[in-house]
Amino acid sequence: MVKIIMKQTLLHDKQIKLGAKMVDFAGWHMPVQFTSIIEEHKNVRKNAGLFDVSHMGEVFVSGKDSLNFLNKIVPQDISKLYNSKAVYCQLTNENGGLVDDLIIYKLEDNKYLLIVNASRIDEDVNWFVRNSVDFDVYIDNQSHNYSLLAVQGPKADSILRKLGYNLEQEFFTIEKTTLNSMDVMVSRTGYTGEDGYEIMLKNKDAVKMWDLLIDAGKEFSLMPIGLGARDTLRLEAALHLYGNDLNEITTPVEAGLSWSIPKDKTEDYNGKNVIMNQIQNGTDKKLIGLKMLSRAVPRHEYEVYYNHEKIGNVTSGGFAPSLNENIALAYVKNLKELKIGSTIQIMVREKLYDAQIVKRPFVEKHNNNKEK
Amino acid sequence: MTLTETILCSKTHEYISNNEDKNYTVGLTDYAVEQLGDIVFVELPEVGASFNKGDVFSTVESVKAASEIYMPISGTITEVNDNVVNSPEILNESPYENGWLVKVDFTGNDIELSDLLDYNDYTEEVK
Repeated sequence: MVKIIMKQTLLHDKQIKLGAKMVDFAGWHMPVQFTSIIEEHKNVRKNAGLFDVSHMGEVFVSGKDSLNFLNKIVPQDISKLYNSKAVYCQLTNENGGLVDDLIIYKLEDNKYLLIVNASRIDEDVNWFVRNSVDFDVYIDNQSHNYSLLAVQGPKADSILRKLGYNLEQEFFTIEKTTLNSMDVMVSRTGYTGEDGYEIMLKNKDAVKMWDLLIDAGKEFSLMPIGLGARDTLRLEAALHLYGNDLNEITTPVEAGLSWSIPKDKTEDYNGKNVIMNQIQNGTDKKLIGLKMLSRAVPRHEYEVYYNHEKIGNVTSGGFAPSLNENIALAYVKNLKELKIGSTIQIMVREKLYDAQIVKRPFVEKHNNNKEK
Repeated sequence: MTLTETILCSKTHEYISNNEDKNYTVGLTDYAVEQLGDIVFVELPEVGASFNKGDVFSTVESVKAASEIYMPISGTITEVNDNVVNSPEILNESPYENGWLVKVDFTGNDIELSDLLDYNDYTEEVK
């Protein structure tokens, strides 16, 4: 018999004891839910949730060419970052397609932290190495040494205060500090559309920090949250999921991410010609948000129709607990007549169901920022 | 006698419960709804539709995924539970009472029934 061994985070056993239902996610044995996806989702919007996202990748980039190297591999202007500042980025290839999406944090001059998707760690590190030949940089993949805990929701700030965290922190910044004598890096970021923090720390402290957060969170109704609610939360916030909504043949312009790309960046970067050309002249396909006008549930890869013609596919879709509606992100032909309010159809099990194009995000974000 | 002592279950997690004569109620087991998680959509056939044992007769969608539901016995639909179409969460809350799916007149051979498991054997099977 073949035994498939999946990777585990340091919180794996604890989460099983808490009653988590586990699934395979990108080779990791991770909790999909603890109680109910809908209940967990609503609790993050109303109170707070604790997520173990230790499967994500942490890569440090250092050396005297760090800035030039990073400016070569993403469309964003990394020279704009001051110490502690973070920016949502895409790792573009020569055709403008996406190797991954990531957050780059400037820790200090010539030292950056890159947080990347779990499913893409190996591809990303290979990509960094291939692109670094002309640069004096050191690429240090520390993914296996660090754990990452996210506290998200309107009460996330109170929970960290209760733990003794006393820094006033702007959205999309990172602080190196100690919490209960543990060395941590705390960033005010997340993947839910809510205010919140992500706490990066050495593996040896992960269980202790989890327990402290659960304890401090009791009076704020903090709940552990699985990947199921993580997905519904990010979908309502219209945050892309790599592998669903982003891939190597989709550009950031097609993905509706032009807002994140500076038009005046002077340095050349991978795919710049394609991306700048698309920003100026438009694209053949575009990302839309839609809501179903019936109870039918749109899912990944379902077909999208307009006037009896197939115009695209759903890339992420499902039930939105905060809205009590079914919503989706889809890529469609960039037709002029498709606007907010237009009615299109989704093919669900051989039948067409009406859907309406709506604006993204589907819910109002509560982190006071346009950034992801 | 509790309901679970009178039902028969399929290995694909549907149950039947005899009403009278050849009429049976068909639904999903508590194990099935627990595994599916929060159910948000139920599609049911029309009254009068006929199915063979093993045919897909319904689709149930949870937050996570869509699942096809198989007819545990051959039969003709005599009634569908509109309450679960309008409020799919009833399936999670009450799979054996309020959350049934359809009622059918059994049209198959009695051998079909012997393929099904009683509740105790079924729970052993899915352990």
